[in-house]
Amino acid sequence: MNSSINDAEDPSINYSNLLVGNPISRRSYVVDRELVRLYKLAVQDKSRLLTTGSDISKVPLAPPMSISALSLRGVVNDLKIPGGTLHVGQETEYKKPVAIGETLHCEATVSSNNVRGEWRFMGVELKVTDSKGDIVMNGKSTILLPVKSE
Amino acid sequence: MSTVKQEGDKLTAICKEVSRQHISLYAQASGDFNPIHIDREYAENSEFGDNIAHGMMVAASISELMGANFGHNWGETGKMKIRFRHPVFPGDVVTTSGFVNKVTQIGEKTLVQCTVSVSRQTGEKVISGDTSVTLTKQ
Repeated sequence: MNSSINDAEDPSINYSNLLVGNPISRRSYVVDRELVRLYKLAVQDKSRLLTTGSDISKVPLAPPMSISALSLRGVVNDLKIPGGTLHVGQETEYKKPVAIGETLHCEATVSSNNVRGEWRFMGVELKVTDSKGDIVMNGKSTILLPVKSE
Repeated sequence: MSTVKQEGDKLTAICKEVSRQHISLYAQASGDFNPIHIDREYAENSEFGDNIAHGMMVAASISELMGANFGHNWGETGKMKIRFRHPVFPGDVVTTSGFVNKVTQIGEKTLVQCTVSVSRQTGEKVISGDTSVTLTKQ
């Protein structure tokens, strides 16, 4: 459960106007060594990075879950996730490994948006593509936003 | 890479202690600076009474578990569906574990489906879910 509390939905965003298919965020990031280093340090992942390519041109790969984290960065910021939001579910599908140095394009769109009682149930579809346009990850986040005022 | 292909096989478990420093580092890595994760005063006045770790930070160990057991195949074909059930606090020791619950041969490929979870030191499950990975004959 990823949560914060005691705050209502951000008044600058009318969450009830977000319809299925509406874009939430479109951002591009470079998966650089520093990002991966920081990520591995934070999650205490001491395993060696996997590599791709031949022995001569081995390129280290980013941990798959670091790509998932990156895909959510735009959602957190562009959706202005209010305090009290709960991250209750996550689906992820990896399609292609990501080499360090790659540029990724992360898109998030609304897949569901319903109010039940004091909570807004929002589904967010995530898609991450690389510089070749290949999909490297698909996903879906389910979040609950507190509805105190619309 | 993996020798785990039989139904019932356990995946090698991973155990970690979550600290405030790790939560702060994850906020920087993920860009999620929600005060419940990083602002102690804010968190102490919340219903949780303390900071809580980012859900995806805790879930990272599931991906690590799958990567350790299935190598490249995880990053190329892995699927995960998880539910965040309870918060994780600084000082908690979490153990990530899993087992193979189904193995299906599909032509030259093998689909391995696993059940995974992350538990606190109290035994309480904080994350539960399913993963799968497709292995290709070398």
